[in-house]
Amino acid sequence: MKFRCERDVLTEALSAASRAASPKAQLRVLSGLRFDLRGDQLVVTGSDLELTISSTVEVAGSEDGTAVLPAKLVTEIVRHLEPGAVEIETSAERSRVSSGRSEFTLLPIPADEFPTPPEIEGEQVTIQAADFAEGLRQVVGAASTDESRKVLTGVLLAAETDGLRMVATDSYRLAFREFPGSSVLQAGQRVNVPSRALQELTRSLDPEAELEITLADTMVSFRFGGFVLSSWLIRDEFPDYAKLIPTDMPNELTVDRQVFLDAIRRVKLMARNNSPIRLEMQDQAVRLSAQNPEDGEAVEDVDAKFVGSELTVAFNPEYLIDGLEVVPGDEVVLQTRDPQKPAVIRPTESQDLLYLLMPVRVS
Amino acid sequence: MSGRRILHVDMDAFFASVELLRHPELAGRPVVVGGGGDRGVVAAASYEARVFGVRSAMATARARRLCPDLVVVPPDHAHYAGISARIMACCSEFTPLVEPLALDEAFLDVSGAGRLFGTDRELATELRRRLHEREGLWSSVGVASTKLVAKLASEAAKPLPGSDAPQDGVCVVEPADELRFLQDRPAADLWGVGPVTGDRLRALGVDTVADLAVFPLDALVSHLGPAVGRQLHDLANGRDDRPVVADLEVKSISQEETFARDRTSLSELDPELVRMAERVARRARRRDLEGRTVHLKLRWADFVTTTRSRTLDEPTADGLVVARTARELLQGLPVERGVRLLGVGISALVPAGGATQLRLDLGGSASQSADRSAALRAADRVRERFGESAIAPVVPPPTDPRG
Repeated sequence: MKFRCERDVLTEALSAASRAASPKAQLRVLSGLRFDLRGDQLVVTGSDLELTISSTVEVAGSEDGTAVLPAKLVTEIVRHLEPGAVEIETSAERSRVSSGRSEFTLLPIPADEFPTPPEIEGEQVTIQAADFAEGLRQVVGAASTDESRKVLTGVLLAAETDGLRMVATDSYRLAFREFPGSSVLQAGQRVNVPSRALQELTRSLDPEAELEITLADTMVSFRFGGFVLSSWLIRDEFPDYAKLIPTDMPNELTVDRQVFLDAIRRVKLMARNNSPIRLEMQDQAVRLSAQNPEDGEAVEDVDAKFVGSELTVAFNPEYLIDGLEVVPGDEVVLQTRDPQKPAVIRPTESQDLLYLLMPVRVS
Repeated sequence: MSGRRILHVDMDAFFASVELLRHPELAGRPVVVGGGGDRGVVAAASYEARVFGVRSAMATARARRLCPDLVVVPPDHAHYAGISARIMACCSEFTPLVEPLALDEAFLDVSGAGRLFGTDRELATELRRRLHEREGLWSSVGVASTKLVAKLASEAAKPLPGSDAPQDGVCVVEPADELRFLQDRPAADLWGVGPVTGDRLRALGVDTVADLAVFPLDALVSHLGPAVGRQLHDLANGRDDRPVVADLEVKSISQEETFARDRTSLSELDPELVRMAERVARRARRRDLEGRTVHLKLRWADFVTTTRSRTLDEPTADGLVVARTARELLQGLPVERGVRLLGVGISALVPAGGATQLRLDLGGSASQSADRSAALRAADRVRERFGESAIAPVVPPPTDPRG
């Protein structure tokens, strides 16, 4: 295999693919990237068996072939080369990466062990990436990272009668986004996509692009431009989220989003070791406070509109911040019922987004 | 205060040695732990690095100039803190009076421990041996009748940079020898003598401890103030009655057991693990504590030790949760190699019943509800009245990951 390519074009392709490579995998070949060159088309693929990312770029090819090179190393080498053309030439014994007066020789990894990503056959839809990407960005952070409860590490994509829904929860908070009128899936279809795959997708996704989604029974793939990401689906049944979304919320606080966020970040400085911050909701204001026995305490009042009966609820400040960051608009609404029931953060204008969070019980 | 025996233990190049255990490929090379970059500072230097004149608190850039082959490892304080907790636990096997001074040093009041462990030297040697056996780390130990002399003695027991001379790492100063041990040292070695006081003393013509010991107290007080003057006068004369104050705050709760016969399968280990997890949880409940981090420790047939830990979303004093977490940590470890010792513990302790992050009711998850916590306490009371076997923990058997 032999080709030349602009450094920046190649760097982008390599870094995208190497995000799926797994440097610590027991199977050494998975710590590599596969290069497939046919004519002037180079496909670079990284995979950890669950997630596969490949990137296709136009290069000046001079000899077709396939090779696997160590992902991290080859990506770093190309990134650090002088701007300009990079040449990669591989043979069975060694690979050469060169540009200008720099030359690197790498020992290749046998390519035949590299897993072939399965062909995905199934329903295919094309949508504008912008909305989808925004929705993912809003919900994906609420997915769990705890591998011992695999089902919560995914994002549910569900086709309901009124449109597509995205839901993620780590059991402390739950993010819900609705796209009225949009149908990506077949009616009634529900799939649970690993949040790691979606996180990588949002990183690479160009909002201007058209996104092609292919859904099979056990896999999903996302394609735009020369980029393809495919992942196994999580098979376990996603919890019934609909019953968790409260309908009766007697207390409603409306507050300037940025002012609220800034105040939380300040008060949080005193909430160490996962200690909560308290929100004391009153007629014209919300009082934020935090204390810890070692350092002291912080108090701040923020102007707000409040309808309901005065109450104090404590939250993990990180979860509050996460919620306030994904809700659009200058003002946000925080709805509560009592200090031990789920609270809801939502935009003032729309009903499409909802961020549910559980309080912290303080004695 | 005659009869008091104070032991000072100080780990040798602690951070650097810990990193060498994690990176055996660096053995024999000059290694420092510290910040890289232009403004980084050396936190600890291996003895190989010290040969080049590299010292802690030196700018990393300067250290690199002194020793071009220097390997700089970024510090990992969480890891050192974990080992430190085990070191302190080991110390408390000799006496309950353990006063940690830093992650890598502590005072022990061993006045009453002699009967169990023999002479001061035998006790100190045994402490060093246990620390090395368990953690793979060497230490230096000083024993004397005061904190001051014990600390200076452990300093004297330290390995010398570049020297291969055998060192037993123990320096015992008998009461009769203490004044002589002190006299020839620079006065700056004494507690509370910083650069400023040191300069003042030198201006008064005081260089050694002996000079200080005979310096008139009145003059000392008028130059240095009553508190410092009196303290230095006492120290220089070997008088230091500061007691060892035990750190009563519990940092971790753990249980470990060496098996008469090595265990080689998960099914053999599981009942032990469940039993130990339950005991750890019960000890936590008795102290009204909950831990966020669960630890698992295995010593293999070849005496190599493996430790694993996981931090939970919320603190627990529930044996079921501890057992389940420990079991997850055990998964994938090659138990067929033969397990000689098993340990289960919790750390990151917080008072029970404090702030609790509530969960959505998704069904299926272990509930940390007030009900369960009350049930556990009720079971504890039953066991206290009717004995250990009155109520036994039931933990669902492990699921075979391959199945």
